[in-house]
Amino acid sequence: MSALAITGEDSLTGGQPAPGCPGRRRRRSTAGWLLFPSLTLVLAGLILPLALMARTSVAHFDAASPDLAGFTLDNYVRFFGEPFYLMILARTLVVALSCTAICLVLGVPAAFVISRVESRALKTVLILATIIPLLMGNAVRAAGWMVLLADKGLINSALLSAGLIAEPVRILYTGSAVVIGLIAVLLPFMVISLESVFENIGTAYEEAAQTMGAPPWTAFFRVTLPLAMPGIFSGCLLCFVLAMNAYATPVLIGGPSFQMMAPKVFEQAIKVYNWPFAATIALVLMAVTLALSVASSLALQKRYGVL
Amino acid sequence: MTGSRSPFPRSWSDRSFWPVIVGGCVAAFVMVLSPLAAIIWVSFFENKIISFPPTGYTFDWYRAAAAMPQFRDGFFTSLELGLVAMLVSLVIGVPAALVLARGRFPGREAIQSLLLAPLIVPGIVAGAALYMFLIEVELASGVQVAMTFTGLAIAHSLIALPWTVRLVTASLVGLDPQLKEAALTMGAREFTAFRLVTWPLIRPGVVAGALFAFIASFVDLEKSLFLVGPGMTTLPIVIVNYLEWSIDPTIAAVATVQIAIISAGLVLTDRYFKLARAF
Repeated sequence: MSALAITGEDSLTGGQPAPGCPGRRRRRSTAGWLLFPSLTLVLAGLILPLALMARTSVAHFDAASPDLAGFTLDNYVRFFGEPFYLMILARTLVVALSCTAICLVLGVPAAFVISRVESRALKTVLILATIIPLLMGNAVRAAGWMVLLADKGLINSALLSAGLIAEPVRILYTGSAVVIGLIAVLLPFMVISLESVFENIGTAYEEAAQTMGAPPWTAFFRVTLPLAMPGIFSGCLLCFVLAMNAYATPVLIGGPSFQMMAPKVFEQAIKVYNWPFAATIALVLMAVTLALSVASSLALQKRYGVL
Repeated sequence: MTGSRSPFPRSWSDRSFWPVIVGGCVAAFVMVLSPLAAIIWVSFFENKIISFPPTGYTFDWYRAAAAMPQFRDGFFTSLELGLVAMLVSLVIGVPAALVLARGRFPGREAIQSLLLAPLIVPGIVAGAALYMFLIEVELASGVQVAMTFTGLAIAHSLIALPWTVRLVTASLVGLDPQLKEAALTMGAREFTAFRLVTWPLIRPGVVAGALFAFIASFVDLEKSLFLVGPGMTTLPIVIVNYLEWSIDPTIAAVATVQIAIISAGLVLTDRYFKLARAF
């Protein structure tokens, strides 16, 4: 910790030191102390626990004692050896990728409209309508979908009374329900990341393209979207990572038969008490997510230059 | 770019652009807002078993929910945790943000990513890891931390910290460090310079950071999941546990109360700090 503070002392004034300025020396030495408590919290509350988790994942499982003992790769062999767990991983990937794709298709128009609305009041309302659901927590939204999608829910009741279907369609507790629920959770993140990007690009390039004769769609697809590519990528990445790790939505509206990775971590840890295997699942989930994120950003960097 | 390679015939394209874009926007907002609208509506239904259309409307479920101890306890635990997390994240996060915003120094990027890491590490992974860690601490020291308020407070301070750091840093970006240097050169003491120069500039960021910290803590589910115990449960977890068994207007009323609190908090925040800047 003190090492960080010492290296931080030399150029705190942003490369523009004000020689002879009173108080400068004192402020330099306080920098370390100002950072110390927050870094301690993150190191002790997150980094050390993650290191311990990595250790736990290679420990022997002994139901009788919570002590960490031995060194074994059995947990990883079990995960990658059993088709059951590989299937859960594959399902999680498919759900995350399809949610990300749909969020992109719906998020681009929404963000574009918000960034181009001229009325300030309407813009504020739309941004609040994006951010309030974003910070609402997943439990409340899952409850909303349970009301809408259940066999006797609003959608089935409406379709029945309209005579479009003869009996309720099963939506809740299926994979589609999970995808629908997750899209609603993730879409605000996509919209809010893209909105600022479109906002920063401004209208000048589009207008230039249209003045030179490009129809609106051409200007949009060949000028605006390529300019927004870095933002689109980071929005997609955010959605993908959040979808991979979703817990409440699959548990509540996927039901017990539609299993995904994050609920499996909880199940192994709290219901089966197999902490080493829970740690393994958690780390595999994190590693796969990280690997795909890095690979895709490298691929995109090649295609579009520095992001 | 003369439009000759347009992917659509020109006449159709000219007229379809805004209708399609606005249509997509409406679809997006319907997806996002309909579950919230549905749960608010259902909370006023008269019939206990949810069916459409309702037989009538009533406010009774709010009274019923308030009378149920698990919701009341969960609500107050979440409220206390949110306030503690907010305070901790302000006390330790604002100084850190001030240092980070002062300029470039070796290790600055690393420190910043470390402080924002709790936002990036998946909640379920971080929660499980913290639980294992606290159990090890308990085995080593004999002091129980997991499943106590202290354990939850640590987890929730971690949830809140990145928001405070991020929003206060964001409000300081573009702030000229020479403003404060000027005050100091002209003889102001360190604290006076902070009070009269820096504080007014960061105040909107601090207020927004505090409110975001509270909200992020109040709605957290995944990180708390492992750390709650008997008699010490947060509102979102009470809601999830209830929903695993049944859905009725009572739980809809609880959810509506949460929606009201979060919405009020964010509308309030927006007055101090343009919300779009927080992301």
